Amino acid sequence: MKVIEAENLSKTFRVKRKEKGMKGSIRAIFNPRTEEIKAVDGVSFSVDEGEVLAFIGPNGAGKSTTIKMLTGILYPDGGRVEVLGIDPIKKRKQLAFQIGTVFGQKEQLWTHLTPYDNFCFFGAIYDIPERETEKRIREIADVFELSGFLNTPVRNLSLGQRIRCEIAASLLHRPRVLFLDEPTIGLDPVVKESIRSLIRQMNREFHTTIFLTSHDIGDIEKLCRRIIIVNSGRIVLDEPMEYLKFSDEPLENIIMKIYQEKESVRQ
Amino acid sequence: MSTEDEKRGRIPYRVSLRNQVRVCLLSIKYNIMREMLNKVTFMTNIFFMILNNGSFLIQWAVLFRLKGDIGGYTMREVMLLWGVCAASYGLAHILFARVFSLPELIINGKLDAYLVLPKNVLLGVMTSSTRTSAIGDFAYGLILACFCGVGVKGILLFLLLTANGAIIVTAFALLAGSLSFWFVRAEMFSERMVNAVVSFGTYPDGIFDGAAKFLLYYIIPVGMMVYQPVHILAEDVFGSLPVVVGYGLLLSAAAAAVFYRGLRRYSSGNLMAPRV
Repeated sequence: MKVIEAENLSKTFRVKRKEKGMKGSIRAIFNPRTEEIKAVDGVSFSVDEGEVLAFIGPNGAGKSTTIKMLTGILYPDGGRVEVLGIDPIKKRKQLAFQIGTVFGQKEQLWTHLTPYDNFCFFGAIYDIPERETEKRIREIADVFELSGFLNTPVRNLSLGQRIRCEIAASLLHRPRVLFLDEPTIGLDPVVKESIRSLIRQMNREFHTTIFLTSHDIGDIEKLCRRIIIVNSGRIVLDEPMEYLKFSDEPLENIIMKIYQEKESVRQ
Repeated sequence: MSTEDEKRGRIPYRVSLRNQVRVCLLSIKYNIMREMLNKVTFMTNIFFMILNNGSFLIQWAVLFRLKGDIGGYTMREVMLLWGVCAASYGLAHILFARVFSLPELIINGKLDAYLVLPKNVLLGVMTSSTRTSAIGDFAYGLILACFCGVGVKGILLFLLLTANGAIIVTAFALLAGSLSFWFVRAEMFSERMVNAVVSFGTYPDGIFDGAAKFLLYYIIPVGMMVYQPVHILAEDVFGSLPVVVGYGLLLSAAAAAVFYRGLRRYSSGNLMAPRV
């Protein structure tokens, strides 16, 4: 069953352009100039239920913009998108009950509260009855080994502990699709490995579909079974991971070559 | 009701509304808990805000010694004026402080955290922050109302008008702040407009006439937020009460419509910044 379907998805941002210096600033007041930048340009793909997909590309390739359109944060300018058969823009709230999001660069937890209080808050947000929330917190604390710091304010946790709590919070409502945007950014290798093991576990046990963006080759290599590479807003490669593992060359080098090849072809 | 139904968003409207209110109240509670982390700062912020507001009354007391009536107001009406203005502004900032910094959220693309949750975006944003000193403003307003001798009925009416005033100033800030979806530098305009509400709201409306009065009633909503409530409280005339409440509701609806219209233009961001 397809859980994500995107067809000719596109998004254009209008960016102001100003000439350098004070003259440029004055000119910009009377004659403002803007330039259109195609962040996502006719992207089409689909994702099966239970799949672990790496959606990667260089900075500014359109990864985050695509995720934001899939989760209902941004309105697409063109194309069609459905996640779990729901249009993210028309039924954003309905979709939000069934998906989870973790943005590695942005905190969603209240830092002055303990993880336990945060989870209770998320339980309320997802309309989970209080008793059921407590049961799920116990389960998640066991699986993610959070018991040692469940009652410590989030601001006093290490980055690794915090990210584990962020992921746990996004799973409390048992989402069918989890969007992870650079979940291991800034973590040390040991914590990275523990986060990867958690992601594997939730995919195995709950059959959660994982949509992952990351610049970390380890995340991609160890977690994903399929890879989509985007560059300049377009998909340049969509293949199973085995496709990239045919040679002895490190995956990082192969991906770098693909980035550069496709970029030069486009130019 | 099954979990599947809940997941598909098929919960009855009444339950959905109750859950939304519960989340808003939890959010407000957690905001205040955060402010209370540092007890000394929390208490001094409230105390000095009351003291700061109180100092302005001394100026008015001196003025009334020189002239018995200013713009049709006596000392009692000025106290009511300050009471309504401070309490409304305070209540708005206790419950909905984030609305007053909405342009910053829009320009820096910080609405993502609210957009991925299955709750009302606007209410989520509105209730995501509080301001400690606003508790001082609200307490000060309430103290003044008690000193004006309006009685128990008057205090209840004062609270109703304060709540309505808080809705009006919040809606006005939302309306002005939402312009940032269209204009990058709208945050300065928005800030000036909201500041104008407070500045004009502490002077008797009798000193303004002509274009200024038109501006204060129809462009900046000081008339409906402060002046009319003061007349209702001071003169015990309730004729304009439905108009004042209706104005608050209409302005809120208009502000929410502009916010949601603007949200379609929201362009997110990649700043490394915490949610709260």
